[in-house]
Amino acid sequence: MSAALSSEVTADLRTIVGDQWVITDPVRLLAYESDGLTAYRRPPGAVVLPADTDEVSQVMARLAHAEVPVVPRGAGTGLSGGALAGSDAVILATPRMNRIVHVDPENRLALLQPGVINADLTEAARPHGLYYAPDPSSQSACTIGGNVAENAGGPHCLKYGVTSRYVTGLTVVLYDGEVLRLGGLGRDSAGYDLTGVFIGSEGCFGIATEIEVRLLPIPQATRTLLAMFDRLEDAGEAVSAIVARGLLPAALEIIDRETIQAVEASIFAAGYPVDVEAALVIEFDGIEAGLDFEAEEAEGCCWEKGAREVRRARSERERLGLWKGRKNAFGAFGRVAPDLLVQDATVPRTRLPEVLRAISEIGHRYGLRLANVFHAGDGNLHPNILFDRTDEDELARVEQASREIMAVCVAAGGTITGEHGVGLDKRGYMRLVHSRDVLEVMRATKKAFDPWGGMNPGKVLP
Amino acid sequence: MNSPGVALADALSGQRDLLLTCVHCGLCLPACPTYVRLHDENDSPRGRLYLMRAVVEGRIDPAAEAFQTHIDRCLGCRACEPVCPAGVEYGTLLEHARAVAVTARPRPWFIRTLLGVFQRPGRTRTVMRLSRWLRASGLAGLGAWVFPRRWHTLRMGLAMLSASGGGKLRRLGRRRRAALPEAPVGPPDAYSALLDTDEEDELRPARVGLLSGCVQAGLFERVNDATGRVLKANGFAAVTPSAQGCCGALHGHAGDLEGARALARVNIAAFEGADVETVVVNAAGCGAAMKGYAQLLADDAEFATRAAAMTEKIVDISEILVRYGMRQGASVPARVTYDAPCHLLHAQGVAEAPLEMLRSIPQLELVELNGSAECCGGAGLYGITQGELGGAIGSDKVDAILETKAEAVATGNPGCMMHIGAWLRFRGARIETIHPVELVDESYRRGGLY
Ligand SMILES: Cc1cc2nc3c(=O)[nH]c(=O)nc-3n(C[C@H](O)[C@H](O)[C@H](O)COP(=O)(O)OP(=O)(O)OC[C@H]3O[C@@H](n4cnc5c(N)ncnc54)[C@H](O)[C@@H]3O)c2cc1C
Ligand code: SF4
Ligand code: SF4
Repeated sequence: MSAALSSEVTADLRTIVGDQWVITDPVRLLAYESDGLTAYRRPPGAVVLPADTDEVSQVMARLAHAEVPVVPRGAGTGLSGGALAGSDAVILATPRMNRIVHVDPENRLALLQPGVINADLTEAARPHGLYYAPDPSSQSACTIGGNVAENAGGPHCLKYGVTSRYVTGLTVVLYDGEVLRLGGLGRDSAGYDLTGVFIGSEGCFGIATEIEVRLLPIPQATRTLLAMFDRLEDAGEAVSAIVARGLLPAALEIIDRETIQAVEASIFAAGYPVDVEAALVIEFDGIEAGLDFEAEEAEGCCWEKGAREVRRARSERERLGLWKGRKNAFGAFGRVAPDLLVQDATVPRTRLPEVLRAISEIGHRYGLRLANVFHAGDGNLHPNILFDRTDEDELARVEQASREIMAVCVAAGGTITGEHGVGLDKRGYMRLVHSRDVLEVMRATKKAFDPWGGMNPGKVLP
Repeated sequence: MNSPGVALADALSGQRDLLLTCVHCGLCLPACPTYVRLHDENDSPRGRLYLMRAVVEGRIDPAAEAFQTHIDRCLGCRACEPVCPAGVEYGTLLEHARAVAVTARPRPWFIRTLLGVFQRPGRTRTVMRLSRWLRASGLAGLGAWVFPRRWHTLRMGLAMLSASGGGKLRRLGRRRRAALPEAPVGPPDAYSALLDTDEEDELRPARVGLLSGCVQAGLFERVNDATGRVLKANGFAAVTPSAQGCCGALHGHAGDLEGARALARVNIAAFEGADVETVVVNAAGCGAAMKGYAQLLADDAEFATRAAAMTEKIVDISEILVRYGMRQGASVPARVTYDAPCHLLHAQGVAEAPLEMLRSIPQLELVELNGSAECCGGAGLYGITQGELGGAIGSDKVDAILETKAEAVATGNPGCMMHIGAWLRFRGARIETIHPVELVDESYRRGGLY
């Protein structure tokens, strides 16, 4: 693999997609040297922007012929360095493929090109009383193609499940340009569930060029609570108590004090008290009847676990207000420190309190600022480490601490990523969670789709 | 890449901390009108910030074609600011990036000439007189009609000039008026009632300053007149200090920060002399620039505090009217749509006030405009300098306007009025482009308030 990218190849790409849709100027390639995780930077050899499945297929065939690796890219909001390519590889970006082919309200399905933005799909479905359930916090910008590749989740996936539950069919282009149709309405779905296998493949199997998804009816009503705690552990226990009581909230999200302070200092100040240790956002949705009961039960759990204050939204506006701190947490860190490492690990929910304590201890020991925002209901943690990459000593401590945090999560029976994917960042941790046999099966699966090894090389597998 | 260009990056280097607030999350991409059309990340806010950062870090030369092109292609619409979770101050960074870009490669002659004209009130008046003559004689409209498309700069300039001529306000809603019962004019004592019930009353300024503006004074005198009348009808005496000049917005956007600062100082002194606590602005671009004086002159020992005080005084005409409550005029039963100027909505965060102001007009049918929050492509001189893209954006705006089937489109910024007006003309659409305050004024006129 990895013959240098020749000007002959790029000239051919220009012929296929049109001159303006191929970027080769080194200055212009800088914009593509990172995704949402700036710790990794490497500019690609070129960027191609095809318009449809046919162009993708021709581009891939040409690149495969020249043995140039391909890396898919959606909006570049990924947080594991998955959309990065070296100078010998080409980024195939999907923003031009942003058409919603159709919304079919009767079958509650939609057919999309991969560059459609998650929130735009929900917007298009709304007139039919429908919406697309997986709601990553980046939903205003990330693409459905990227969601499929990362099997993205979001705050409401606690009740509704992640991307894989909603994708019913795919059109996929393999490295050699071959077009596969997997699953889909009215198509034969006998045999192995290849659609399922492709979801979460992080761009290593092929490029999804058409995606069929299931839509849900918009919930009739919602109840949203915000509970404040003086101890982070108490918030964690309230989460367990709510679940133990048999309630099924749509979302259970915790943000800690460091995060609250960052948000309150930003232009998105949400009015959270800055002296509490944790805030817990609880949301129920569904048919109106019964919601008040559930909300009261959950409120009871919070009081029982020592909540200092519980607020309840009385209007849509107040609801958005309660969510505001959670939704803007990530960006608010930009004001606090120049660099941010977002971790993403999952632990069994019952072990949350002890894991949180261990993480905070690690932060102290390395003298680092840590902030926690997480999908508590799923046990999906996002410890964020705030730092400045120009301080080399600090950078080294960040890497060390990050590794220890991962080890703690794995030791507690968890795994190394909840939703951001393995990409470049977590590759080294794969052996922590998977046996050699499992990794071999993964390698064989990758080979089945990409025997040439040209798709997103160097990602996921150690 | 150690080139002389690196030294030029100083203007941006001072902004390093602001640049670093960008966490590269990408949430701003879909909000950017150039990215959604061009699909190149270099034409997105994140990409442009990254280019700026690369200049500061000495990785690229500011004279590089890519830096120049993508910084030039930014509309400066600031739609990327309200969606940014990190609160990146994009507008400020853009002005500094432009300053770096123009030092590395000077702008075309006509831009430099134009900026030079607005730097001096005398020259501005002369050029405006000539422009009004071109407009009144019909030559501007004729030129826009006969010149070929490839003479874009000239054709667009003339079309915008011709479009600044004003709408036929008196005819608005005439067709439907006959069919509707006349709405009662607000009771004669409504105004005094308003004065003694509102709890804000104690703060209500009796005297306010009014920015005349350069283009606004030269080509949109009728809007300034309407503003003055409406203010007066609502109990505000408006003073327009003669020492004031152009607000400097065009200079700032074009990277001439020194030019912008010089004009800011003139205006600060002029309005200090007028002894007013509030300065009303009816052009969104000027309002945004003046609300930015504090930032612009933050390092000026003599002016920093004065600039901060000035910034506090600036309000848009819609803000002041809605804040203190406004009188009601007679009905204007026209179907009207509203396009939000970027520098009002994104830069000043004023979203509701203009709509409320329009809703206060009896029987005015306000229809929502699809994509009202998106830039019209006018963006100062953008419609002229970036013809193709500005045209594509302007054309989409016109499609949305036509869809509303409105008789008029209201927008509170001269640049937007001219750009939208020009594109409506190119498309042969008979839709008036007006300032929202003109509608209030018309409603007052019909109601016999003056
Ligand atoms: C502020 C913020 C909040 C976030 N919150 C969440 C969250 O709540 N839940 C969550 O799950 N993630 C979250 N993320 C991570 C990220 O948004 C998701 O991983 C998202 O799915 C990535 O989509 P994208 O279009 O940006 O893809 P990119 O970043 O461009 O690419 C991601 C991966 O997908 C591959 N890929 C892209 N398109 C295709 C395609 N058409 N076919 C095959 N492979 C493809 C790429 O090669 C890459 O490996 C967040 C990110 C940010 C910045
Ligand atoms: S939204 Fe803000 S922080 Fe995120 S990439 Fe854009 S400018 Fe940077
Ligand atoms: S100011 Fe407007 S055009 Fe420029 S980057 Fe921001 S959104 Fe895009």
